[in-house]
Amino acid sequence: MGFYKEKYDAIVVGGALSGMACAMTLASKGKDVLLLERHNLPGGIATSFVRGGMEIEATLHEMMSIGPEDQPLKIRAFFDEMGVKIHWLRVPEAYHMSVPSEKIEITLHAGFETMAREIDAQYPGTHDKVLKLMELCQSVYSSVNVLSVHPMSKPAMLLRHPEFVKTCGYSAKEVLDTFGLPKEVCDILSAYWIYVAAPLSNLPFTVYAVLMADYFGGGSYVCRDFSYEMAARMAVRCEELGVQIEYLQEADKILVEDGHVRGVRTKRGDEIRADFVACSAYPNRCYTSMIEPASAVPAAAIRSVNARRLSVTCFSVAMLLDRSPDELGIRDYSYFNSFTDMDTDKHWENLKTLGPYHYVTTICLNRANPDCTPPGMTSLSITTLPLPDGYLQVTEDEYLRLKRSIARDMIEQMSVYFGVRLLDHIVEIEIETPVTVAHYTGAWNGGIYGYRHSMDDHIVARLQMSEQENYIPGLAFCGAHAISGNGMSPAITNGRKAAKTLLDEMAKEAAQA
Amino acid sequence: MKVYGFLKDVGGAGRVTARRQSLFQSASAEPQTRDPINELARALHPGPLALTVTDVRDVSPTARKLRFAPKQGRLPVFQCGQYLSLELKIGQTVTTRPYSICSAPYQARQEDGFVEITVRNGKSDGFAANWLYANTKAGDEFTASLPFGQFYYEPLRDSRHIVGLAGGSGITPFYSMAQEIAAGKLDAELTILYGSVTSADVILKNELEAVACDKVHYVNVISGEKDYPGEKGFLTREVISKYAGPDSTFFVCGPLPMYKLIARELAALNVPPRRIRMEVFGAPKDVSAAEGYPKDKLGEHYTITVVRGIREDEIPARASEPVAVALERAGIPIPTRCRSGACGYCHSRLLSGEIFVPADGDGRRRADRELGFFHACSSYPLSDLRIKIPIL
Repeated sequence: MGFYKEKYDAIVVGGALSGMACAMTLASKGKDVLLLERHNLPGGIATSFVRGGMEIEATLHEMMSIGPEDQPLKIRAFFDEMGVKIHWLRVPEAYHMSVPSEKIEITLHAGFETMAREIDAQYPGTHDKVLKLMELCQSVYSSVNVLSVHPMSKPAMLLRHPEFVKTCGYSAKEVLDTFGLPKEVCDILSAYWIYVAAPLSNLPFTVYAVLMADYFGGGSYVCRDFSYEMAARMAVRCEELGVQIEYLQEADKILVEDGHVRGVRTKRGDEIRADFVACSAYPNRCYTSMIEPASAVPAAAIRSVNARRLSVTCFSVAMLLDRSPDELGIRDYSYFNSFTDMDTDKHWENLKTLGPYHYVTTICLNRANPDCTPPGMTSLSITTLPLPDGYLQVTEDEYLRLKRSIARDMIEQMSVYFGVRLLDHIVEIEIETPVTVAHYTGAWNGGIYGYRHSMDDHIVARLQMSEQENYIPGLAFCGAHAISGNGMSPAITNGRKAAKTLLDEMAKEAAQA
Repeated sequence: MKVYGFLKDVGGAGRVTARRQSLFQSASAEPQTRDPINELARALHPGPLALTVTDVRDVSPTARKLRFAPKQGRLPVFQCGQYLSLELKIGQTVTTRPYSICSAPYQARQEDGFVEITVRNGKSDGFAANWLYANTKAGDEFTASLPFGQFYYEPLRDSRHIVGLAGGSGITPFYSMAQEIAAGKLDAELTILYGSVTSADVILKNELEAVACDKVHYVNVISGEKDYPGEKGFLTREVISKYAGPDSTFFVCGPLPMYKLIARELAALNVPPRRIRMEVFGAPKDVSAAEGYPKDKLGEHYTITVVRGIREDEIPARASEPVAVALERAGIPIPTRCRSGACGYCHSRLLSGEIFVPADGDGRRRADRELGFFHACSSYPLSDLRIKIPIL
């Protein structure tokens, strides 16, 4: 007897958050779904690991689109609707930013009025402009939320979403510059740039607005039991909804016959039928080595992946320290440190190298989740998000030395900042690199953010062109590389969208038949 | 002031779409498959490798060192103290065993590279080791995966003055470390304190003496020979403080009971926890000795319903053995590596029933514990079970 049914309504390739959101959505509509995951755990990079009996967060800094319980934003609402119960913990502040060369040292909290006042206290006379900027962001954010679900005609769009329409051709820098704010304030309001990984000069204002309105409006959240809690609870809920999940099963080929998806072949050799596949592997890999026969891939599909540029990957040093945050003098949850100035174009160039990195994010998880370590200890991670470029020539014999030298530099920089020698307090340390991401997820070139946000690959253009990009009937994509882009919350949205694409196709084909 | 003064422009959406479209049209239609980062990941973690035994050598009256070379290609980079997972078929049982690599990393990477493990004969719980000791000969072929484990010197965390506290076959990772340091490939100093009952129990004695140098010190501590001329007794605070310098990092590898003794001795010496690294070392010999084990269950037999995909099988199980062992006995393969509850490769789901997980072998994540995911290699049935495991 085999391990699989003859045929499924849909197969989801990849059990990260996006794939599980997709599988869950399909199953909730009564579809018979198989989910194949290459790793032995669900969640992809939403994960944790155990060292010396202690669990350590691997990746999550903060989830957007959660919002308070009584004012849920869309991801909390999705989990509520699906019956996935997550223990959300609110992150106490938005961020602390430090740019010594510009004398920036400030902590901001969520809430437009709150953050505008906090900025005004250090940069008097900026309150109204900052508030106006945030209101513009909020307006664009609301429009994006409506328009991504309900497409409408151009005149209707202009009438109902004028600010969205009018800002959409401009970069974040171009729009920010019109507010006449001091440079330092613009820089403070740029701290989150790394969470969408594009220099402000090339970041669509639309994306910037969503980021700012979501984080400063709804606040940010983490899971009580690390990001793996989300992964494990989604996996359990998927199975309750009837999804068959198989771990350690890698989909090797997506089978296409007569121009339509017809199934999947696993590395193990099982050939499983389904007319619909949601693929979490990057389109680069899918179109160049997964589709069988290769001739079923239209030239336009290859062009599309060649035209797009990969976004960043990850370099993170996760540590458990043998002192409490108070003892170490680490007051806040999240720190954005620039060791040079806040020119994001220069930072972007720096991310193409092997370091030393100039812009790093440091998370002290205890500040949002005091029980994440035993008492008297600190969970601290220092992260930068480099582009794959610097890592392409690295050989296996130099890899260990290299990752330690980059990590040491990051630890020493933050030691200077905190005024405490972190190296003297490390109980556990793991260094995650682009190669680590590739090893555990197989993501194309270790990418965690999909394709770059840029004025050339604008989120609005992605939405407008989305239908013509369904190059192979029966195939949809979920993951950070899909329309909504990177981050755990957008990845979940991408999974839901992939499900919707497939459900629409299923309905259309059923009607034709 | 000109606050978003350009917002009379309503053509932005059209412009950005045209821009993207033209980019797509002008791009090459030639498939680009280069993914150097995944290539590097595969070079570092190549998965199962076909290995040939190239040498079998006695390294004590009861232990043998087995050398393996790859059938093709190169062995991956590893760090001293890491282990390989050896696939074994003994009778009808298909299983794996973790063995610390006792050769040095540089030896794996040189031309004609190799890895070595040492197996000891005659231990009642050493089913696989005894079999390997008795049966392995040059020319035999095996499949193994490497490298795994966190028992390695981490320069960002550890003191470069390493004290290796070894017992029994727990000496093997320190031989790897000693060779790497002696060859000038690892910048650290190592003092090995190796506890054995008699001098005949000492494994790799000649080999360790041969690599001793100004950076590698090697001391046997013998507990069961009155006339032993060197250090006598156990690995106590006295002998440890005699040889360990200030601010050393202690690496501990040996049989389970040794860990409790050493933890007590190091605590008495005020060694901070971050200076102590303990290797995981297999399932306990007798689970009923573990804290919290319901002793009345020990002799029980149960049935496990094993779900793999849409298939279900029923197998017998003993309360005294991990779920993974019951599966292997029944001929159902289960992915395992560390076999100590730590690595989680055997991550499975408990659909119903009750299991016991000894605290020493509980490497589960919090959410796993709450939701019923478990590690089959370190979990013991306390009732009939229904479990879902990966397809192999």
